[in-house]
Amino acid sequence: MKFPESRASRARAFAVGLLLLLAVALVAFSVGGVRLSIADLLSGRGEAGEMARMLASIRAPRILLAALVGGCLALAGAALQALLKNPLADPFLLGTSGGAAAGAACAALAGASPLVSPAAAFLGAAAASVGVASLAMRGGRLDLQRLLLAGLIANAFFSALLLAAFSIASGEAARTMLFWMMGSLADATPGKDAALAPYALVGAVILVAMAARLNLFSVGEENAAALGVDIERTKRIVFLAASLLTGAAVAFAGVIGFVGLLVPHAVRAIAGNDQRTLLPLSGLAGASLLVAADAASRAALAPVELPIGAITAALGAPLFAWLLLRTP
Amino acid sequence: MNDPGFLIEARGLTADYGRTPALAGLDAAISAGEVVAILGENGSGKSTFLKVLARVLAASGGTLLFDGRPLDSVPRRQTARRIAYVPQSVDLVFPIRSLDVVLQGRAPHGRGFVAETPTDRRQALDAMRACDVEGLADRDASAISGGERRRVFLARALAQEAEVWLLDEPTAGLDPRHRLEFLETLWRVHGERKTTILLVTHEIGLAADFASMVLLLKGGKTIAQGPCGQVLTAENLSRAFGTPFQARGRRFEVRSGVLPGGSLEP
Repeated sequence: MKFPESRASRARAFAVGLLLLLAVALVAFSVGGVRLSIADLLSGRGEAGEMARMLASIRAPRILLAALVGGCLALAGAALQALLKNPLADPFLLGTSGGAAAGAACAALAGASPLVSPAAAFLGAAAASVGVASLAMRGGRLDLQRLLLAGLIANAFFSALLLAAFSIASGEAARTMLFWMMGSLADATPGKDAALAPYALVGAVILVAMAARLNLFSVGEENAAALGVDIERTKRIVFLAASLLTGAAVAFAGVIGFVGLLVPHAVRAIAGNDQRTLLPLSGLAGASLLVAADAASRAALAPVELPIGAITAALGAPLFAWLLLRTP
Repeated sequence: MNDPGFLIEARGLTADYGRTPALAGLDAAISAGEVVAILGENGSGKSTFLKVLARVLAASGGTLLFDGRPLDSVPRRQTARRIAYVPQSVDLVFPIRSLDVVLQGRAPHGRGFVAETPTDRRQALDAMRACDVEGLADRDASAISGGERRRVFLARALAQEAEVWLLDEPTAGLDPRHRLEFLETLWRVHGERKTTILLVTHEIGLAADFASMVLLLKGGKTIAQGPCGQVLTAENLSRAFGTPFQARGRRFEVRSGVLPGGSLEP
């Protein structure tokens, strides 16, 4: 276990994370049903260059979407883990993602424009967090087991809601519902990337600004209170920012599980639990993970595309089981 | 303040956990520099009083003055610089270096709760030296012994430079040597910094030896407070704990018709 010492070492860690993301993105760029050569793209003459540019125009927005969605989910998960002092916290397991999907689906069903869907997803996510947190309260404090059960209940409720919406909807709308349930990055466009980026940025800036307070929370809520943190205000801010990130990710990519659980654990094992390092690194590592998982989903059984959620679940479920076994 | 009076003054203080009342009109008047032992049976409100003072729990009624001002009218950060809370036990889920635990004591002094200036670091290391846990600075605090961890949190209170320390059963679960070392450290710091100490304990002997004043609670109310000699009487203790006490010199014991010795020293 390493404990980063200074601002300089945090900056170094961030630079390494950024390089990793770029490397993963480059690999993801070239793999898929058809191999894309970077050389062709750059030299760009004739039929090969034409083909390369066409593939690039399809793949680039998709890789960017994967990075943004992965970053949002991992950052939300890392912040929730510190806030709740609970290594099992994750927007998917706590029902936040389900709430976001249900919110977006309801808006779509009501005939709202797709531009509204991030806002609707955010409202759904916020409602889900508040509902799950209040279900899990016991004698004035959040209870670990109740929290997980409340997340289970929320997920059951929201999938029922989505299934109902799916059966009412028809044609294109039904396909959209299915997309939110299963999660997919296939419909990426530069427009969607541009729409998601501001949400991701705002949520990330808020959470990283809360990092020092979250360090005090990760020892315990009472600990933070006794050291002068306004804990109710901090909890509201972090829950809302995590809901914003989750809502935005789900609105553009549907429900993709386990990213928020998986990534902070891996980063913590390498870089320690200082939230000022953990939060930004989790964002970058989450982006890398989802870009890699998406490349694998395109390349593994090409031309058939695996659902991205299947890949993250295949990685995340065993980790979850392992964590559960280790939790006293 | 023209007349500083008491540092901590509670009148008719109430607090509750959800619908369960925990303090039901507690009174206390504590001057700066006192070492106060808070005694009482389980559920009498001892820990709750510390939590209200630490602002971990909000009072539901009554008055609580700190340095002459209502405690909840002072910004939290400000009171956190003056009042340190050492909880009974801390369940550490995530790894954290002991030095970082101690540095958290500097958080209320830093901008945005960040504590990483060279001064913060020096103060944290000095505090660890004073509490004899310097050697643990780089160790994961979730992987050291309970007694060591207790002293790491004591070092944190020291680094916090608080003038009031709230200690919740600080000696519970410590073996005799660690208990002695812990109390010696506490006593030394109290002597050097004139820290006001409020200490929740079940050890009546410790209260008599260590404290300058006793606050005796029952059912969330104060039933006696004052110098040890006045408050620690067989009559008061019998009332507080609901079982007959008898004095033997400066010590007290509870009679038992079952145990082989016929009595038990609490």
